[in-house]
Amino acid sequence: MTATRPAVDVRALPRTVFGHRSLMWWGTIGFIIIEGTTLFICAVTYFYLRRNFTTWPPEHIYRPALLIPTIQAILMLLSNIPMRWVDRASSRMDVPAVRSGLLVCSVLIVAMTILRWFEFQSLKVRWDTTAYGSVAWATVVSHTTLLVLEMAETLAITVLMFGEQVEDRDLAGVSDNALYWYFLTGVWIPLYVIVFLTPYFM
Amino acid sequence: MVLFAMPWVATATQFLAMDRLVATHFFNQAEGGDALLWQHLFWFFGHPEVYIIFIPALGFVSSIVATFTRRPVFGYPVMVLSMVATGFLGFGLWVHHMFATGIPQLGQSFFTGASMMIAIPSGIQIFCWIATIWSGRPRFSVPFLFVLGFVVLFIIGGFTGVMVASVPFDQQVHDTYFVVAHFHYVLIGGAVFPLFGAFYHWFPKITGRMLSEGLGRWNFWLFFIGMNLTFFPMHQLGFEGMPRRIYTYLPETGWGDLNLLASIGAGLIAISMVIFVANVVVSLRGGVPAPDNPWGGETLEWATSSPPRPYNFAHIPVVESRSPLWEQAQPMPVVTGLRTDVRDTLVTTLLDAEPDSKHRHPVPTIWPFLTAVGTTILFVTLIFTPWGVVIGTPLFLLGLLGWGWPHGRDKREQQLVESEA
Repeated sequence: MTATRPAVDVRALPRTVFGHRSLMWWGTIGFIIIEGTTLFICAVTYFYLRRNFTTWPPEHIYRPALLIPTIQAILMLLSNIPMRWVDRASSRMDVPAVRSGLLVCSVLIVAMTILRWFEFQSLKVRWDTTAYGSVAWATVVSHTTLLVLEMAETLAITVLMFGEQVEDRDLAGVSDNALYWYFLTGVWIPLYVIVFLTPYFM
Repeated sequence: MVLFAMPWVATATQFLAMDRLVATHFFNQAEGGDALLWQHLFWFFGHPEVYIIFIPALGFVSSIVATFTRRPVFGYPVMVLSMVATGFLGFGLWVHHMFATGIPQLGQSFFTGASMMIAIPSGIQIFCWIATIWSGRPRFSVPFLFVLGFVVLFIIGGFTGVMVASVPFDQQVHDTYFVVAHFHYVLIGGAVFPLFGAFYHWFPKITGRMLSEGLGRWNFWLFFIGMNLTFFPMHQLGFEGMPRRIYTYLPETGWGDLNLLASIGAGLIAISMVIFVANVVVSLRGGVPAPDNPWGGETLEWATSSPPRPYNFAHIPVVESRSPLWEQAQPMPVVTGLRTDVRDTLVTTLLDAEPDSKHRHPVPTIWPFLTAVGTTILFVTLIFTPWGVVIGTPLFLLGLLGWGWPHGRDKREQQLVESEA
């Protein structure tokens, strides 16, 4: 072993950091890249398969219903307001604010998951009825797996926040969860436009 | 590249599984699906995958070249930028695997141009290595021989790559042995030779024993000659029209002699592999004990013992140069102030690598492994039945639950924070 001499003392460095200084943030970004690419592939496949049909949706298939999906899209957009509030509160280490904000977000994401069930019905096509049905279902199912995962994580974090001792690093976890929430709800808007609106003008 | 490329093959595979199991129609032409969609999805992964295999080999080569020429790599920034450029360009080439599927002419021209462009960063790197060797003091030990073998083979593979990037040429040799020859020169030359070099280079560090130089030279020369005997004749066989993926052919085709030559070459490669395995076995048992830095290397791994302790260094070294063992003053500067009673490590800033925060690694746990087992069960059963989702998903979720369950986490993190405040 080579002889050594002390050169840098890191005793005073913090243990809890937020945003891109945190390792978890980079893990979340990696996850977002993978899942974002998967959803992008669904969108690419949607337009690629469109070329094989003269009408869209194909003949004898109804266009999707718009009411529930539109409510869902608006709800997803608006849900970013309380989540942003939670995000800011967590970086201030303001535990009471984080608790109440997360309660609101938990209710919202459970509502979004229930609405998703009705969104599948709004597609008005089965997955085994032409390639159109297949790709529309695949796109919504892919996003739904992420939605369910985020619901589980948000509920778990909310429970954790009401535990007896909240650690600093848990608050950093709240912030990373918020980052994933922005992605989940943001990426749904173009997917909503593609799956539910393009059959009306393409 | 892995992050951006892997989802394509994962999603394509899911589409295929759904077509087979739940009657979707992604690739079913009769219901508006498209078989070519599969090719696009697969090759958008498949081509970057070539570089995912190949780029780590470039790292091996640069490390070995620097050590065995006893000078830092020539044109380091250009070398790094070339590697980054290869990473980007690698995503714009996938259609050159599909030139025979009848794609529009504009697409053909674009992907021909993009495919030929990859020769530029590759060429820059080759010239940088040659310049390093030229201006250094090369030692022709076994790892370095494998690198020289790489340079020769990869240049040949690169030339035929530029040839098949051209659509008219590709149409002539598509699905022939010419293509087999091309990608074996690229991947055996470009990835396997550096891998062997790396094995000889780092074996002493990993095991504490040197591999035999004599057996290593036999290994290299038989492999190099065998590889060329096997694959070089395949260029000609491709020109003569011998198609890929056949197990026999008629004697009138006249392909027999060159195929015999290729078989002799394959025999030589097999002998070289036996020698390699023998070398490893013999050296593990009775090889010369390896010193910490047997090759006079420049990088950090050579500063620790051979083999290294599980923790690598008692204190994290401070690195002030790309060649710390050659350029930094001794004794080696190190980081202090990390705890030794928990698995503490240092997180630095992304670009300047300045110390930024401390991070405690989790304690050892079986749950990630169990999660992986659950995932494997999920996907393997999914090949045969859609019930795979029902069987596998709870197992996978159970793994995640156990992994994240708070009872295993010790509350000492907060104590650490407070005691250090």
